[in-house]
Amino acid sequence: MKEGNRSGIRSVWILAAAAGGFIGALATLPVPDSAAAPGQELPESRFAITDVTLFDGEAFRRNQDVWIEEGRVSRVGERLRLPEDLPRVDGRGHTLLPGLIDGHYHTTGGALGDALRFGVTSVLDQFSDPGLLPGAKAARGEIARTAEADLYSAGILATAPGGHGTQFGMAVETLTEPAAAAAWVRARKAEGSDWIKIVSEDGAAYGGAFQMPALDRETIGALIAAAHAEGLRAVVHVTGMERALEAVALGADGLVHVWIDAVISEEDARGLAEAGVFVVPTLSVIAGMFGDSTGLRILAATDDSLVSPAQRQTLTGAMSFGGGPGGTVAIENVRRLHAAGVPVLAGTDVPNPGTAAGLSMHGELRLLARAGLETADVLAAATSKAAEAFGVPERGRIAEGYVADLVLVRGDVERDVSHTADIVTIWKDGYAIARRAAAEPIAEIAPAPEGPIFVDFDGGIDAGFGFGWQATTDAMNGGASTADLTVEAGALVVRGETKAGFPFPWAGAIWFTGPEPMRAVDFSGRTTLRFRARGDGRSYAVMLFGAGAAGTVPPMAPFRAGPEWAVVEIPLESFATADPSVIAALAFVAQAPLGSFAFELDDVEIR
Amino acid sequence: MTAARLAHRWRIYALEARYQFLMVLREPAFAIPTLLFPLIFYLFFGVVMGAGSFSAAAPTYMLATYSVFGVMGPSLFGFGAGLAMERDSGVLLLKLTTPMPAAAYLLAKVAMAIAFGAAVILGIFLLGAYGAGVILYRWQWFALAGVVLAGVVPFCALGLAVGAWSRGRAAVAITNLVFLPMAMLSGLWIPITIFPAALQDVANVLPAYHQAQLALKIIAMDGGQATLLHVSVLGVQSLGFLTVAAFGFRRAETGAVSIRPGGMS
Repeated sequence: MKEGNRSGIRSVWILAAAAGGFIGALATLPVPDSAAAPGQELPESRFAITDVTLFDGEAFRRNQDVWIEEGRVSRVGERLRLPEDLPRVDGRGHTLLPGLIDGHYHTTGGALGDALRFGVTSVLDQFSDPGLLPGAKAARGEIARTAEADLYSAGILATAPGGHGTQFGMAVETLTEPAAAAAWVRARKAEGSDWIKIVSEDGAAYGGAFQMPALDRETIGALIAAAHAEGLRAVVHVTGMERALEAVALGADGLVHVWIDAVISEEDARGLAEAGVFVVPTLSVIAGMFGDSTGLRILAATDDSLVSPAQRQTLTGAMSFGGGPGGTVAIENVRRLHAAGVPVLAGTDVPNPGTAAGLSMHGELRLLARAGLETADVLAAATSKAAEAFGVPERGRIAEGYVADLVLVRGDVERDVSHTADIVTIWKDGYAIARRAAAEPIAEIAPAPEGPIFVDFDGGIDAGFGFGWQATTDAMNGGASTADLTVEAGALVVRGETKAGFPFPWAGAIWFTGPEPMRAVDFSGRTTLRFRARGDGRSYAVMLFGAGAAGTVPPMAPFRAGPEWAVVEIPLESFATADPSVIAALAFVAQAPLGSFAFELDDVEIR
Repeated sequence: MTAARLAHRWRIYALEARYQFLMVLREPAFAIPTLLFPLIFYLFFGVVMGAGSFSAAAPTYMLATYSVFGVMGPSLFGFGAGLAMERDSGVLLLKLTTPMPAAAYLLAKVAMAIAFGAAVILGIFLLGAYGAGVILYRWQWFALAGVVLAGVVPFCALGLAVGAWSRGRAAVAITNLVFLPMAMLSGLWIPITIFPAALQDVANVLPAYHQAQLALKIIAMDGGQATLLHVSVLGVQSLGFLTVAAFGFRRAETGAVSIRPGGMS
C-alpha cells in the first residue's frame, strides 16, 4: 500500500509538471509587441492594415489587406504583395469600416471634431450656418491632416415665416409663395449649398402641442422643381405621414426624418420605393424623445476621457414626450420602408436633445438593426448608400482610389453591430485621429464664498449673491414667451406667459451666480438647492447652467408651486449632468402647457 | 469513501493511464503517425509553403486546423483502432478480468489522447510561432489550446463507436477511412471555401468541421456561423457516437462480436 501511495503521489507530480510545462510553454509563445498591436502604433498616410475583416461599403470580406498610399486606398485584396518597408497594422480579430457618414447633422462649434473622434468622418448637414460652406469645401477637397469631419451641407433651409427652423436664432430667408422658389434656390446655390433642404412641418404630428406656420404644397413643389433645375437634390423635413407622401409626390429626392404619427401601408411603402426616394429616419432623436436609452447606454460604456462636455450635455438633455407610441411607430415605418426596398440611411439629427455628435451614430446603427436591417444593410446605410444618396464622392467605401477614411474596431461587427462603438483607431484622409476629448477651457471660475449663499429679496431684486436676477424666455431662441420680475413683500414675483413659437417654450427668472452673467462659480461641497415657492399650482422647472455647451438643453429638475408657501429642496446631483464646481446660473421657469403663469420665490439658498 | 480507498482508486486510474501511455509510446505504429504526421504536415504546408499558398494568413489558419487534426489522430486511433486491436490481442479481456474498473481503461485512453494532443499542439504552436512568424494575443494562444483539446470529447466518442463495431486490423482501415477524408472535407488542410459547394455542404455534418470552426473563431477566421450551433452539433454528435458505441458493446456481449481473442466466436 505504501509503495502504491508513493506511485500515486508521484503520478500527481508528473501530471502537474506536465500540465505546468504545457502552460508555461504556451505563455512563452510570441504575442503582438506593443508597436504592432492595433491602437498602439499609429502609422499614417502610407501603411497597410493586414488580414482584417472589412466592410467594403456593401458586404463583409474576410482576411483582407488594405494598402493606403498618400491618404487614399491604393489596393484592397487578399494576400497583397506589400513592400517590405510598408508600416503595417495587424487587423486580425478586428473589423475595418469605411468612415461613417451621418446623414442628418447640424454643425455647431466643436461638433465636427466630436463627430470625427467617434468615427464619423463625414457629416451631411441638413441646416446650419451657410458661412461654414466655403471653408468646408476647401477642407474636404484636400487630403491633409485634420481634426474635423468633412462637412457637406444644405446651408439654410426653406421654411415659412415663423416656421420650423426659424426658432434657432439664425437668420433664415423665408418664403411664402411658389414664385419666390427659383430665386431662393439660386441664392442657396450661390452660397454653396450642396443640396436643398425644405421644411414641411406644421407641428401636427406632435399632437398639436406645437403649431407653426408651414410652406404650402405649391411652394414646396416649386422649390423641388427649382432645385432640380439647378442640378441640386431636394430633401424634405417631415414628421407627419401625410406631408411625407405629399413631398414624395412632389418629386423630393429624400425625406430626412421618418414620421411618427402613422404607420405606412405596404402599398405606400412600395410607392416610395418606386419613386426612388431615400429616407433618413433619425431614430436617435425620435426614439430619444420617446424614452429610448440606446444613446445613454453607449455613453455609460464609453471612457469618460473620450466624451466632450458638449457631447455629454446634448445626449443627457433628452426631452422626453413621456413614452407614447411615436418611437415604436417610427421603427415600424423604417421596417416597412426597408422591406419595400426604400433606401434607408443612418442619420442622428445631432445636436438635438438626446443625441451627441459622433457617439449617437453608433446608437443609430443599433436602432436600424432593431428595425430589421441586416448588419450589412445597417453599415451601408451609414456609408456607401449615404454617399450615393447625397452625391458625396470618394467616400463611403473601402475601395481603390477612395479617401482613406477608416475606422478599425475590435471584434466581428458582422455578428454584432454594437461592436462599431469599440473603436481602436480612426484614420481621416489616412491620418490617425487623437480620440481624447479636449477638456473644455473652464478658466475664470469664481470661487464661492465660505458660509451660506442666501438670497431673501428683502433688499430688492439686486440684493444677494452673484450678478443677480433677470427675466429669461425662449425669445432668445426665437420663441414668443414673456416673463416679468418684481419684488413684492420681500419675495420675487415672476409673471408671464409661455407661447408657441419654439418647440420647447420656457419663461421665468434666471439667477446668475457669478460676478457677471454666465461666469461660472465653484460650488464644490454644496449639495442642495433649497428655496420657498408658492404660485398658481402649475409645475415648474429649475434649469442648471454650467459652463459652455451653449445652445444645448441644460439639465433640469421639476418643482410645483402651490397656493401656500412650501420649501423645495433639490439635491444638486439630481441635475443629471451638472457639476457643482461649475455653475453659472439657475433658472426657475414655466414650460408647457402654454399659457399664463405666476409664481413667487423666496429664501433661495445653495447649501 | 475513505481517503485510503480514494487513494487506492486513484492509483488504479493513474497506473492504467501510465501503462497505456508507456504502451503506445513503445508502439511506433501509433506514436509516430499521431505525433509526427500533423507536425510534418504543418511544417510542410503551413510553414514552408505557408504564406505562399491560399492566403498570407495561411500559417495562422493552419495553426488552428492542424491542431484540430493533431488532436483528432490520437483520439480516433487510440479509441477506434487501439480498442479493437487490444480486443483482438486479448489485452482487453485480460484487463476486464482484473478488479480494475472498466472506466479506468476508458479514462486512460482519454488521458492518453489529451497528452498526445497537447504534445502535438505544442509542437505545431512552436513551429508556427518560430517557423512561420505566427503572432497571436496571449489569450488566443491559451483559448486555442483549450478549445482544440476539448475536441478529444467528440473525437474519442467517435473512436469508441468505430472501435466497438469493428475488429482489429479492420478498425485501423476504417478509422483511416474516417480520419483522412473528414480532415480534408472539414477544412483542416485547406479552407473548404475552395471546394465546390456540394462538398462544402458535406462539412456541416462532420464533427471535425465544427471543432475546427470553434478553433478558428478564436482567431476570427471562421465562417461566421454561431458558436452555439457548433457546440450543439458537437454535443449531439458526441452523445450519438456514445449511444452507437454502447449498442456495439451490447452486441459484443451477446456474442455477435466477441471481446475475446480471435474475433467472432
